Amino acid sequence: MMGKFFEKSVTALSWIAGILLITSLLLLIAYLVYEGGSSLQLSLIFGDTAPLDALMLKRQVFDGLLSAIVGTLLLIIGSMFIAIPVGVAGGIYMAEYCRGKMKSLLNLAFDILAGVPSIIVGLAGLLLTIFLNRNFQGQISTCLLISCFSLASLVLPYLIRTTQTALETVDPVIRKTALVLGASRLQNITMVLLPNSISAIISGVILATGRCAEDTAVIMLTGAVATAGLPRSVFDQYEALPFYIYYISSQYTGPDELAQGFGAAIILLILCTGLLVSTLWIQRRLSIMLLYR
Amino acid sequence: MDTATTVNNAAVQVTTVEVSIKIRTQSLCFYYRRQQVLHDISLQLPANKITAITGPSGSGKSTFLMVLNRLWEEVEGCGISGKVTMELGGHFKNIHDSTFPVRELRREVAMVFQQPNPLPMSIYKNIAFPLRLAHVNDKTRIKENVESALRQVCLWDEVKDRLGDDGRLLSGGQQQRLCLARALVLNPEVLLLDEPTSSLDPEASKAIEELLLTLKSQCTLIMVSHYQDQIQRIADLHIKVLNGRFST
Repeated sequence: MMGKFFEKSVTALSWIAGILLITSLLLLIAYLVYEGGSSLQLSLIFGDTAPLDALMLKRQVFDGLLSAIVGTLLLIIGSMFIAIPVGVAGGIYMAEYCRGKMKSLLNLAFDILAGVPSIIVGLAGLLLTIFLNRNFQGQISTCLLISCFSLASLVLPYLIRTTQTALETVDPVIRKTALVLGASRLQNITMVLLPNSISAIISGVILATGRCAEDTAVIMLTGAVATAGLPRSVFDQYEALPFYIYYISSQYTGPDELAQGFGAAIILLILCTGLLVSTLWIQRRLSIMLLYR
Repeated sequence: MDTATTVNNAAVQVTTVEVSIKIRTQSLCFYYRRQQVLHDISLQLPANKITAITGPSGSGKSTFLMVLNRLWEEVEGCGISGKVTMELGGHFKNIHDSTFPVRELRREVAMVFQQPNPLPMSIYKNIAFPLRLAHVNDKTRIKENVESALRQVCLWDEVKDRLGDDGRLLSGGQQQRLCLARALVLNPEVLLLDEPTSSLDPEASKAIEELLLTLKSQCTLIMVSHYQDQIQRIADLHIKVLNGRFST
């Protein structure tokens, strides 16, 4: 009798938890659209400049979000460009080559790295900037490149861990298959193990990309500013959506600006969803390509 | 180990005079994490015969197969002592010789597992995979070898029109024959079989058994098996293992 009641209440609680989650997501989106919907026009992105001119880089956009969107995209591309090769290589090393005491030591190190708060990573980036600034006669200051490096080191542990776990959980029979047929260790990794775990690795990449897109603490210490326009090089300061949202929420001057901030939040949401969908597509294409080529 | 046991296991001769010897082990011991799995095994296995190895699970049968193609080296915490020599390409070679690359050994000593393990790729690519690993790039040669391997295992007629299909879509028996074909595509001299029919129905098992008999002419087969009737049907030689000790 008691057991049945317990079982029923667990089911009910699970349902409630699920419904609560979905409701809060819908509420969040509805609230954002309610507050920022009115500002969702082309002028939110391009300001007073003609969209085509702005995209062709003919004219600068002053009060639109274009620079912030481009900045965020550059930030994601730059940091993933650094983090993916290093992270995947690190994961391969951890799963396939590292053994014994070294392995437990590095495991601990990556766990600690994964637990470092992003503001600390930002501070480390800032310290690096100050160091570089002193040693290169003030030629280097906070910029896109340093933000990318800091964000990359922030997401590195996720990438290493997901790659490592994906490789370690490949079916032992599949793991032995190529070796028995005369594969070298490297051939086994590139031709069997990686293709078999590619979708798990890409799930890690998706998580890391989201982290890069939304992180504010790191970039506000290493190069993001409120108004900078489009960065001309990686050594330039830049605008970014999460920093813009943070900035507006703390210093808005009127209802119009506040609505713009909500608009920026919606755009960030759309951007992240777009990235997620395209990564899922790449995930499918890539695993088919790697296994059946 | 006490003296009595040593004498008991000193040399289990399992060969007749006329047959040439393919594999020879001398005081072979195998350890896994400080636990001894194989005890002082000295035996000789004849060429072009089917040698069946039986014994309760955990007695070291599969471990013995893993020694013969050095697959144990991929498992952490394993150790070995003693000597294994094999007649490969007309010469007896110490398989643990540092100048003998493990990849070459595994091309000569193929292995088929209990569970059919086609890789997640097409039938054709599964068979061609060992050739790719061996850097064979000649397309016509690959094609010929794939076809002859599939013919050897009597699978060609069943799959010739769908070589591009995923290998995992075949039936269990077909998958196991696919794996046999994959193991045979490099023309190995020794074929290790770890309970090759235990995941198959009687019909498919029979087909595999008949196949193994035809393979005797071109390679030496070492088979771990649980089935007494199967051993009586196809094995030329029967070795029993108990707690890591071998006897005929």
